[in-house]
Amino acid sequence: MGMDRWFLIAATLLAAVGGALGMLSVHRGQRSRWTVLWMAGAFVCQMGFLVLRGEARGACPLRDLGEILAYLAWSLTLFYLLVGPPYRISLLGVFTAPVIAVFQAVALIPGVLTATPARILQSNPWGETHSATSVLAYGALALAAVAGVMFLVLDRQLKAHHLESGLFRNLPPVRELLISLERLLWLGGLLLTVGIIAGFLMPRKVGTEGHFVAAVSVWLCYGLLMGIKKVRGMTGRRLSLSAVGLFVVSLVVFAFV
Amino acid sequence: MELFCLGLNHRTAPVRVRELFAVGTPKLGQASHDLMAGVEAAEAVVISTCNRTEFYIAAENADEARHRLESQLASQVPENEDLATHFYTMQKGEAARHLCRVVSGLDSMVLGETEIFGQVKQAYQAALASGATSGVLNRLFQRAFGVGKKVRTETSIQEGSTSIGNVAVDLAEKIFGHLKDSEVMVLGAGEMSRLTAQALVSRGARSIFVANRSYDRAVELATEMNGRAVRFDEWQSVLEKVDVVISSTGAPHAIIHRADVEKARRARKFRPLFFIDIAVPRDIEPAVGEIEEVYLYDIDTLEQLAEEARLRRQRQIEDCERIIDSELAKLNLPGT
Repeated sequence: MGMDRWFLIAATLLAAVGGALGMLSVHRGQRSRWTVLWMAGAFVCQMGFLVLRGEARGACPLRDLGEILAYLAWSLTLFYLLVGPPYRISLLGVFTAPVIAVFQAVALIPGVLTATPARILQSNPWGETHSATSVLAYGALALAAVAGVMFLVLDRQLKAHHLESGLFRNLPPVRELLISLERLLWLGGLLLTVGIIAGFLMPRKVGTEGHFVAAVSVWLCYGLLMGIKKVRGMTGRRLSLSAVGLFVVSLVVFAFV
Repeated sequence: MELFCLGLNHRTAPVRVRELFAVGTPKLGQASHDLMAGVEAAEAVVISTCNRTEFYIAAENADEARHRLESQLASQVPENEDLATHFYTMQKGEAARHLCRVVSGLDSMVLGETEIFGQVKQAYQAALASGATSGVLNRLFQRAFGVGKKVRTETSIQEGSTSIGNVAVDLAEKIFGHLKDSEVMVLGAGEMSRLTAQALVSRGARSIFVANRSYDRAVELATEMNGRAVRFDEWQSVLEKVDVVISSTGAPHAIIHRADVEKARRARKFRPLFFIDIAVPRDIEPAVGEIEEVYLYDIDTLEQLAEEARLRRQRQIEDCERIIDSELAKLNLPGT
């Protein structure tokens, strides 16, 4: 087994342990102070994986489903570490860590990650930019969906006056969650825009029209969501449901297109 | 050298007796020094809060010092008042244990309250500065503060709010985070709404609007809280900008209906809105709570949450006592 795979296994274990310990402390009603460290460890291992795969490919390592999932997990971790601190990183990490662990675990299933990555002889800079920024955008949009789930949990507890759980005590305030959710949507939307522009400029193969239409449709949906939020306003519940729904739908769409 | 404590508190003495022995904070140091000299003790600390006055004394002859103190105290009360029924005395280890319970908030009127820790610390520092303490009481108080901290960090004796006002403020912070960006409207200028609004202001609420049927009373309350009075028939327009509404009017029927809030939603851009209804009969129609971005809490819900916090604290007492006992067993304090 190659070193790259060991890095990915280590990153998966670190994220899984961080998530489990975080959930345990939240269940006890305490703040999960160490989640950020587990996530930082996972991030370092993800970097190790991506560097080795990048060297082997001689290009951005986004050539098979395993690499795409690993890169998505890396971008989620990156945004968690960057966006986290003002929004009570510990709990965002607790919610994010299992998602990362699942993505990477799927990447580790035999056959998903190419064992011997082929070297890319002709890479196009626009193509590389398109792939990298698009997956990075999905990292931000995935984290927005995570923040949306956190909001929905908190909203439900506040509405039903169920305020006893350790989870309730550890969740960030409603307004902070909505602000972080909105910022992540803008960030994801911006990166997605760069990805789409790069997609226009890169040489396209025949038969990729479906992918192109799907990408533009997803971009339009996110644009519409942000436009409505900005101009007319939107309840936190609808914004969260939309962020979660759009992310899941777009993942499903790209799995088939 | 022997340690003893003599005192009275909210459980043993009514306020008319407690106030006879109350010592103002600026006089605590001098009071400790005078007590030490007056009862011929080696060391003394006077603690005085609105709920208790206690004298901690270390003396070579504790019995004599206590008799002198009792005579001194008896001279401060009317002849028909029987002091023995109000004062309690504790000696050696029992006195040390009592101090730890006091510092931990276990002997307070509001179980687990944190203010007492600072008050005892202030009293001790005043006594220390006046030269009224030495080996025995210095060690006792410093250890008691350590035990108090341990009790608070290792148990949840101070968690949760036990009053309606504080529950409301905690909820507001759970919804809006820092309240410095939040605006509050008070409907009805009664005592309960005033207290709740004051609690919100003390935690940083940006501005307060007061609407009351009597405009003069609204102006009065708004001035007191550095806010703005609005005429009662204008509250709907204010609803468009505020984040928290505290309602406590004496109206015999609901004054805020779902339709009123629906009208303001668009202008508010569907931002979260927190309604605190502390009126009986209720001022806010329950259907208002069905609106997506609205969180509605009435007086029963707030009281229930406060009661749950009180019960949670009650359940922590045994754990706290265990920590105190095990810490005291380790210490081997002089005078106990």
